[in-house]
Amino acid sequence: MNASSLLSTRPVFVVGIGLHRYQRRSDETYVSLGLAAVREALSDADVSWADVDAAYTGTALLGMGASRIMLSKLGATGIPMTQVENASASGSSSVAQACLEVASGRSDVVVALGVDKPRGGLGAAPGEAGIANLEAGSVVPFTHFALLASEYMNLHGVSDEQVAKVAVKNHRNGSQNPFAQRQKVRSLEEVLTEPISGSLTRLQCCPVGEGAAAVIIASEEGIERLRIDRSRAMQVVASATKTEGLYAEGVGIDAALTAETGAAAFEEAGLGPTDLDVLEVHDAFAIEELLYAEALGLCQPGEAAARVESGDFDIGGSCAFSPSGGLLAMGHPIGPTGVGQVAEVVRQLRGEAGSRQQPNARVGMAHMVGVGAVCVVHILRKP
Amino acid sequence: MTIQPRHPHLLKLVDPPILVGHRCITCERIAFPPDPYGCEKCGSPASNFEKWDLQARGSVQAVATVHRHHRPTPPTPFTVGVIELVEGPVVKAIVEGDGVVVGSSVEGFLAPEEPDDAGNVIVDLRFRVTR
Ligand SMILES: [Zn+2]
Repeated sequence: MNASSLLSTRPVFVVGIGLHRYQRRSDETYVSLGLAAVREALSDADVSWADVDAAYTGTALLGMGASRIMLSKLGATGIPMTQVENASASGSSSVAQACLEVASGRSDVVVALGVDKPRGGLGAAPGEAGIANLEAGSVVPFTHFALLASEYMNLHGVSDEQVAKVAVKNHRNGSQNPFAQRQKVRSLEEVLTEPISGSLTRLQCCPVGEGAAAVIIASEEGIERLRIDRSRAMQVVASATKTEGLYAEGVGIDAALTAETGAAAFEEAGLGPTDLDVLEVHDAFAIEELLYAEALGLCQPGEAAARVESGDFDIGGSCAFSPSGGLLAMGHPIGPTGVGQVAEVVRQLRGEAGSRQQPNARVGMAHMVGVGAVCVVHILRKP
Repeated sequence: MTIQPRHPHLLKLVDPPILVGHRCITCERIAFPPDPYGCEKCGSPASNFEKWDLQARGSVQAVATVHRHHRPTPPTPFTVGVIELVEGPVVKAIVEGDGVVVGSSVEGFLAPEEPDDAGNVIVDLRFRVTR
């Protein structure tokens, strides 16, 4: 059996979702943040903690040993717990591990959690690898993405205003999401103020705060045994992870990695880009939505800005991009982000997203990238 | 008093300055920055690398002016370019002067920073537009 057939051999489902609102750093402990999300997910699935066979905690910033100190407060049941670190995709990778564990047959019910609190620095390993480079100290992530924006806008004749419209849309979506860090509708004029780097402004860069998100992954047997409501269980039909290969020199590496990972996920699911009704992408910076829409095959190279302007990526359009508000508005607390994306896709596929519901959503994707560089993609389907 | 490059392993202090990358003897890949571990193309250990001089000349693929920075240096605003060197590798570096756009031809030069109290000077590689 190879990895790409595992999810079809023993199907896995998301049966519960829970979030703690993403917010600015506060005095609330990570234990309190994480427990809020897990308790809500258990209650959503109508299962008890004693029914959970294993837990994975996606966190990049908390340091060693976060899981048990948190989750034992639900009852020290002695189950296996593991922290998962994969930079910005840490939460996505905790979902991937939970899916793999259930699909392998080792467990029937597994919690995937993401939780983090911001620290002074990111403590990121790439900076300590002992490989000096010229740009150290002058190119931070927002400038990396400002450079991508520069290349894209020059190549395709796209304006600052067109890129900013991604942020206008995602802030509007976030204004409808009670779990979003930013819940304000923003005009194009507001988005275009406060330049940070290149064409990117403050409101085109995601806020990095704190929060938590949890999903419960279960097998058919688990659903049967615990009498979980089947109509609210959404199937995970692809889980793909890739790291950056050796691409042609240049600035398009992030999009190339996403194209490869997306293609692997579509192949595993037996689906294609036109099947997607909902897509949560890694829009840490507004330009990324355009790059990844094209890399994932939702439109031709250079077309994404026009598709945003036409409303095609709005809620109600052909594919709703980041109906949660995305990283730009919902926020990017690192560990929780990828889990929160999966929770949003599940909510949309269930038809429970209220005022931000994409009509008739049947297939959704969650996409994250992380420094290093890594990309993690999940595709979910309403059975 | 000393004159030191900010990145001594990456740069030769000659005029015009030379960037020091590596070439993998096994697969002939030329890379910058040089690294002490191994080849991303063929997996050879770094013992199989030779130092490889690269001209600090190239063309701008992308450009961004930074308005907010987490440190006092470099002072804002400053402009960063993605520069494809004539010999292939791509670097990111500060580009000084007006008129830099995608497609500009640029060349490297050594920019001295303010000396410290002992008179020691750090020089940094910057690029400027040639035409
Ligand atoms: Zn090699």
